[in-house]
Amino acid sequence: MAISFFNHVKIAGFKTAIPERCINIDDEIEFFDNNPKKLARAKKIAGYGKRYVADKNTTVVDLAVDAASKLLQEMKVNSHEIDLLIFINQKPDYEAPCDASIAHGMLGLEKNCATLNLNLGCSGYVSGLWQAFSLLENGNLKKCLILAGDIPARDLDIKDRKRAPVFGDAASATLIEYTENPSPSTFVLGTDGKGWDKIIYPFNGRRIPLDNNLLNLKIETPSGYQWDYSQGILKGEDIFYFTMDVAPELIIQTLSQANWKKEDVDLYAIHQANKQIIENIIDKAQIPAEKTPSDVFSKYANNSTTSVVTVLCDQPKDKKFGKTLLCVFGIGLSWGGATLDLEGVYNGGIYTYISPKNKPTREELINYWIKCIKGE
Amino acid sequence: MNQNEFLSAMEDVLQTEDTLSMDTILEDLVEWDSLSVMATMAFLDKNFGIKTTMSDYKTMKTIGDIAKKAGL
Repeated sequence: MAISFFNHVKIAGFKTAIPERCINIDDEIEFFDNNPKKLARAKKIAGYGKRYVADKNTTVVDLAVDAASKLLQEMKVNSHEIDLLIFINQKPDYEAPCDASIAHGMLGLEKNCATLNLNLGCSGYVSGLWQAFSLLENGNLKKCLILAGDIPARDLDIKDRKRAPVFGDAASATLIEYTENPSPSTFVLGTDGKGWDKIIYPFNGRRIPLDNNLLNLKIETPSGYQWDYSQGILKGEDIFYFTMDVAPELIIQTLSQANWKKEDVDLYAIHQANKQIIENIIDKAQIPAEKTPSDVFSKYANNSTTSVVTVLCDQPKDKKFGKTLLCVFGIGLSWGGATLDLEGVYNGGIYTYISPKNKPTREELINYWIKCIKGE
Repeated sequence: MNQNEFLSAMEDVLQTEDTLSMDTILEDLVEWDSLSVMATMAFLDKNFGIKTTMSDYKTMKTIGDIAKKAGL
């Protein structure tokens, strides 16, 4: 059983970057037959609201590295103090190498700082924390940076009404530290690998590499948008029940392993899949709604890998953090629960990442690589 | 949950201003869309422990058909 207890590691701070462009569901009434009642109903039931979408030249690495350098600066931590960098995301900047290496270079970390990359989505943050806590517990490593994020919204077709209103782009940086003073935490992780195909991008890996046929494959979907290879497949009904079955049980199990009562918890930070799912989890797990934000989804949408950090960073800056429960679930299928004592944590909040004007465009990057290949 | 309680709960689930009866035709409700199907699935799972599928809703015609699924 993947149940772990730690006593000498804590989260020291976190910060979240979102892109500039904001899409508000109120501006999309055309997709609700121009009917204000239908729009209001979708807002009430699913919680649709605002979402932030990266521009074509911005990636998850840009957002995460910017958040990390600001976090280190604000917390007055020097980059040479970082012993470990963990990058968690589902869709990397390049097919290879992994984003952890790229971020390590961009942040100017020391050569004796180790890197790890986890290929996970919505459940990834707790897995990354768990690895960091495992590696720091004995005090050999003192400081770890976790970069988590994805840009699920950037390349979505706005006509894809199943997913476009649901996802928003964001990335976060979290600083983890070894601590002499006891800071107990509990982790419960799980996987249902038989559900590997429930959320999947089937093409463009080594099992089914892209060819011209797949590249040009367009499928008309019942909801009226064209599916191409870059769009994933999400088996909504299966995922829905997976969430309803796994998440409430995970919360109960994590609390029980930590020996915490429901009322001990100051904040339940649950992956913001959508408002309806969070409300169902609250009902089924019978946890207090006032301590379990579901409105973060309406403010930033589902930020995939980093959505639970968005919940933490969205708390008021002067809020005193305490006993916190994290609950995440998603692609894999996989899930993770954690109880943490966040007393004294630094909340760097959520800020807008401004894309530098001189950032190379797609064409410039392609030309650069062509020149490399030609040996120019 | 009796039938009347079920009807009023379904009005809330569907967020409809119409008064529902067991004979209300689902297709006649403007609110009967994919959001409502998901909300109904969650409602039946939470309150009756019954897991319905999307395809179940293709064969259901009335609110009464949903009540039958719930065992009412």
